[in-house]
Amino acid sequence: MLAVAHLNVWYGVTEILRDVSFDVPDGRIVALLGGNGSGKTTILNTLTGLVKPRAGSVLLAGEECAGLRADQIVRKGMVQVPQGREVFQSMSVVENLEMGAATRRDRAELRAGIEDMMGLFPTLARKSRQRAGSLSGGEQQMLAIARALMARPRCLLMDEPSAGLSPVVVDTMIDAILALHRRGLTILLVEQNVGVAAAAADSAHVLQNGEIAFSGPAASLLDNPEVLRSYLGR
Amino acid sequence: MSRLLGRRTLLALGVAALAAVPTFANPYVVFVGNQLMLYVILAVGLNILVGYAGQLAFANAAMFGIGAYGTGLLQVHFGVPYYAAAPAGALLAMLIGLAMAWPALRLSGLYLALATLAFAQFTLWVFLHWESVTFGAGGFKVPPPSFAPLPLPSNLGIYYLSLLAMAALVAIAWNVVRSRIGRAFVAIRDGEVAAQALGIDLFRYKAIAFGMSGLYAGIAGALHSALLNYVSPEGFDLFQMVLHKAMIVVGGLGSLAGSVVGATTLTLILEALREFKSTQEIAFGALLLVFVIFMPDGIVAALKQRLQGWEEPLRRVRGRPGAAAGAEARP
Repeated sequence: MLAVAHLNVWYGVTEILRDVSFDVPDGRIVALLGGNGSGKTTILNTLTGLVKPRAGSVLLAGEECAGLRADQIVRKGMVQVPQGREVFQSMSVVENLEMGAATRRDRAELRAGIEDMMGLFPTLARKSRQRAGSLSGGEQQMLAIARALMARPRCLLMDEPSAGLSPVVVDTMIDAILALHRRGLTILLVEQNVGVAAAAADSAHVLQNGEIAFSGPAASLLDNPEVLRSYLGR
Repeated sequence: MSRLLGRRTLLALGVAALAAVPTFANPYVVFVGNQLMLYVILAVGLNILVGYAGQLAFANAAMFGIGAYGTGLLQVHFGVPYYAAAPAGALLAMLIGLAMAWPALRLSGLYLALATLAFAQFTLWVFLHWESVTFGAGGFKVPPPSFAPLPLPSNLGIYYLSLLAMAALVAIAWNVVRSRIGRAFVAIRDGEVAAQALGIDLFRYKAIAFGMSGLYAGIAGALHSALLNYVSPEGFDLFQMVLHKAMIVVGGLGSLAGSVVGATTLTLILEALREFKSTQEIAFGALLLVFVIFMPDGIVAALKQRLQGWEEPLRRVRGRPGAAAGAEARP
């Protein structure tokens, strides 16, 4: 579904990503791990058009996305759930969901999409009129995911969905990610939390200083002391 | 009972009262009423940009001036009739507003505030020093527009033209903020990165917000030049900018009703302090401080808490106000 090849990104005179290549097969969850400053968020921002790469290609179902504008990439089916939840605080839950479908025009489809999200996230259905800023951290994260799903993505990019959440809420989050997986959604999961990646993803890549330093099955991460120590600081 | 004190009822009563003012009031009250309507237009336009779209811009007074100068200078230098010069002046302000969306793509917060403030000061400098065109610090007279064949003197004609323009522009703003465009404004205000990640075209919506705001200020400027039959730089200085900002802060940021309430409150205070000109700036500064510290959501927030009918949902509502948020989500 998603094929990233030889991606190079610079911020001014600093090289942030160096020759990064990886694939996210159709219907799979692939985790991208790494410590602070390893380049994880830059990869996501490059994939979604917020940052322009200096070189490399980003193919979504065979179509080139590198260098396109963010709205063009969303229309092609690649949507990001931003880091730190970033829900629209002053809007209601439903209004947030409507904004997720900003690139779509069909009102019947919009209503169907909202109903679908309410079924997938019952907590949001109970609080549909509530302002997003008054939801708990876990609920805001659910809303951010539901909002991204409203764009009907073929590939969902999630930036540290477990950040700042309590362990119980993290478990709920993993369940939600697995539920999306069962629906056949392709997911690129960017995480610092190895436990979340191991529990949810099929395979994983570990980033260090803007390069992929390790690739393998996600379940093997927790059993690999060298990866844990060298790349993830554990 | 509280429904009778709702936003729509009071706004309708306000428009009806403004329409009736010339039948019983003296020319001074008519003039103040006309100024109030221009300030409503200015505050609504600025609130779209600052309150809804979250763009901290400080060029509203300059846009107001561009509308007034554009209209007046076309009449004086080229003999263009008012009814052609006024739309041209307003359009010029809108185009300059649109152009400001470019820097706004790269700048935000304080940096955008400084850039737009610099633009406003530059505009004022041009008004003051390009004497061969703008007539410098002394300003210039503009001919009063004729309303023939209507049996209206110029001042009453401008009054009713301002009333029509205000009603139309408030109605347009009301529809825009409840549309997809208004929700995109609020999304950009609440989280620019998230909005962009969802495919909201930042440049497009910032351009709409700056363009609308420029157009509103330009229309107010065009009406202002005809109201005074005179245009001079001092009407578009930093004090004027502070006044516009104070209106939307006092009324309520991100609220059209707040723009109307703020413009009305500040115009009345302005008139009450007219005898003590030097105290006006101090009073507005103090008022801004008090509201920013103790009532940051403005007068409208207090009304929303106490009275029904002051809600302003970001969508079109059928039936009872306030019943809409979430209604579409129900299976």
